[in-house]
Amino acid sequence: MGDEATTTDLADEVIAYGADVAIYHEDERLERFRHKPYTEIVADMARCGAEPPSWVTGDPGTEPTAEWRDYDKPRYFLFPATNNGRDLSAQVQGELDSGLASDCSGLTIEEELVSNPVKTGEPGEKVEFERVLFMKRPDFSGFEYSTILCLDNPGREFHPQGCSVIPGSFDPIDPDYDREGEVIEHDLELPDDWFRVEVTEFDRLDEGVDLTGHDVVVALGRGIGDDPTKGIELGLDLVDAFDDAALGLSRGVVTASYDLDGHVEQYVAEERQIGETGQVVEPELYVAAGISGAVQHKVGMDESDTIATINTDPDARIRDFSDYFIEGDLFEVLPRLVESVEAGELTLQAEASDD
Amino acid sequence: MHSVVLTKGVPDFREGQVSFDEDGHLERGATPTVMNPNDEFALQAALQTKVKQGGRVSVMSMGPPGYENVLEEAMSVYADDLYLLSDREMAAADTWSTSITLSAGIEKIGETEEHSASAVTESGEPDIIFAGFKTADGETGQTGPQTSWCLDRPIVTHVIALEVDEDEEKLRAKRLVEGDVDEIETVEAPLPAFVVTDPEFEPSYRRAEHRLKHKRFKAETDERVENYEAHLTTWSAEELDLDPDFIGLDGSPTIVSGVDPIPKAPSEREATMVDPDDAEGMDEVLETMRPLAGGD
Repeated sequence: MGDEATTTDLADEVIAYGADVAIYHEDERLERFRHKPYTEIVADMARCGAEPPSWVTGDPGTEPTAEWRDYDKPRYFLFPATNNGRDLSAQVQGELDSGLASDCSGLTIEEELVSNPVKTGEPGEKVEFERVLFMKRPDFSGFEYSTILCLDNPGREFHPQGCSVIPGSFDPIDPDYDREGEVIEHDLELPDDWFRVEVTEFDRLDEGVDLTGHDVVVALGRGIGDDPTKGIELGLDLVDAFDDAALGLSRGVVTASYDLDGHVEQYVAEERQIGETGQVVEPELYVAAGISGAVQHKVGMDESDTIATINTDPDARIRDFSDYFIEGDLFEVLPRLVESVEAGELTLQAEASDD
Repeated sequence: MHSVVLTKGVPDFREGQVSFDEDGHLERGATPTVMNPNDEFALQAALQTKVKQGGRVSVMSMGPPGYENVLEEAMSVYADDLYLLSDREMAAADTWSTSITLSAGIEKIGETEEHSASAVTESGEPDIIFAGFKTADGETGQTGPQTSWCLDRPIVTHVIALEVDEDEEKLRAKRLVEGDVDEIETVEAPLPAFVVTDPEFEPSYRRAEHRLKHKRFKAETDERVENYEAHLTTWSAEELDLDPDFIGLDGSPTIVSGVDPIPKAPSEREATMVDPDDAEGMDEVLETMRPLAGGD
């Protein structure tokens, strides 16, 4: 969807990347994402023009009859888990009276023997569901993985099975520009009423904090919890001691809602998060202070050349992907490292002047 | 201007509060329930609207009777009154059946004379519905957009700054767009509308008159919270005229088929254990650090 400039090359591009059919809708009013028209268009594409069922609470008993629910119509519906993509996924699946899981990082299609009586209709009964999309996602602020299934009820069908996918969770396919596919222009009248929300201005933001490309990343985790302000200060001190270093954070720190003093508050932001939903770094040296080492964090840093960890718990998961594990309290160890690294800088300078 | 803020109770994920069982599963029962931290921004946006436009701020949540504490917490930020949609039939709802339930609650406010306080809507429904961006437990970010879809309202999400113009019956907002490029959009939407605040939302009170009002409203809500139950309305599924097949677990397209602790990563590096008081051990670590030290 988009204006002419957007859609012209996009259809060919998605076919090169593996699509068999590309459906597009072109309208100059679709240049920027807008919830209502985008949702209406995508839902209409999904149901191939059939009348939607009435799920509205005032009339919930209406039988969904439209043939768009046949299994050869979209059975799965995948969206990007970006700000706009997540909104679109939620509203489209709502309009289609189906369900979805957000921010998935793993997808498989399997048969599943289901015993949940809501889905089977009969307590104690097991029913096999075919070609079920298993949607795996980090949950509970990254403490657990949940697997979500979108399954029909006996009296109400929930299709397509939807999800939004964290960008970068799957390796991109090599494009093949000789590949052939069908390109269909979507036809639908777009009433003015759908464009009630108007975008009057837009500005590109500064890039934000880029943690990649530095020699050193000093990353802080929930171990700073006893005195978060002090913890951030110490992390920044160590960053300053290096020639080219940046401060990173575990997801736990970003979501913790610590009560921080004003001068360090700006450093605790999602833009400094390292891991699956944040930035992926590969510095020469990665210093992890007070980070327990959830697998989502690991994917953001385990290509670092050397990983030095400071943690009070010798059984912390991060030990398995550390080169050095300093078993101690970061509030004591960090100041010592700062002092020694700064002292080391003096030694190096002295050596240099001897040459 | 009548605002309704949607909120949810979530496990308290702060260090020291969250409990796990032997298998590494989160123990919900042993972990205290608090108001979803992101919802505070929605409350701030509603309070700002009341300070500048007048009117009322209601808070609504769907949850078990114990959720009254969550509503109490919301009122400590700001609320004139509280609504709890509570029924066993509503339990274990996914985002879609939650959205159907919440939208029925909002419609009921509009339909009931003693609850309705709209400035602009014909139906009597609240003028602006506010929600925070995703909860700390489910982390879907779907409930706001889906509730808005049920109500067929114009929606503006990821709002970081907001101005409401009651005379022109519209709002102007700045919203954060993240994707290939990060952008800030300025958008205008007619009222009634649905606003999802971003965690970057900041209220703005430039005029002294507004700062004084803000202070007074905060003092009033502090007083109200002492006796918050007097300001609470609870509605059941029947009172909301909801079809049991469309709410709770029964009305949920999705189910959670499994919850796994985040798997322990296979050991890929053999960590050298270092005692910080052992000078020799620390020297080995420092060997890797010193060449990277700052030059000036």
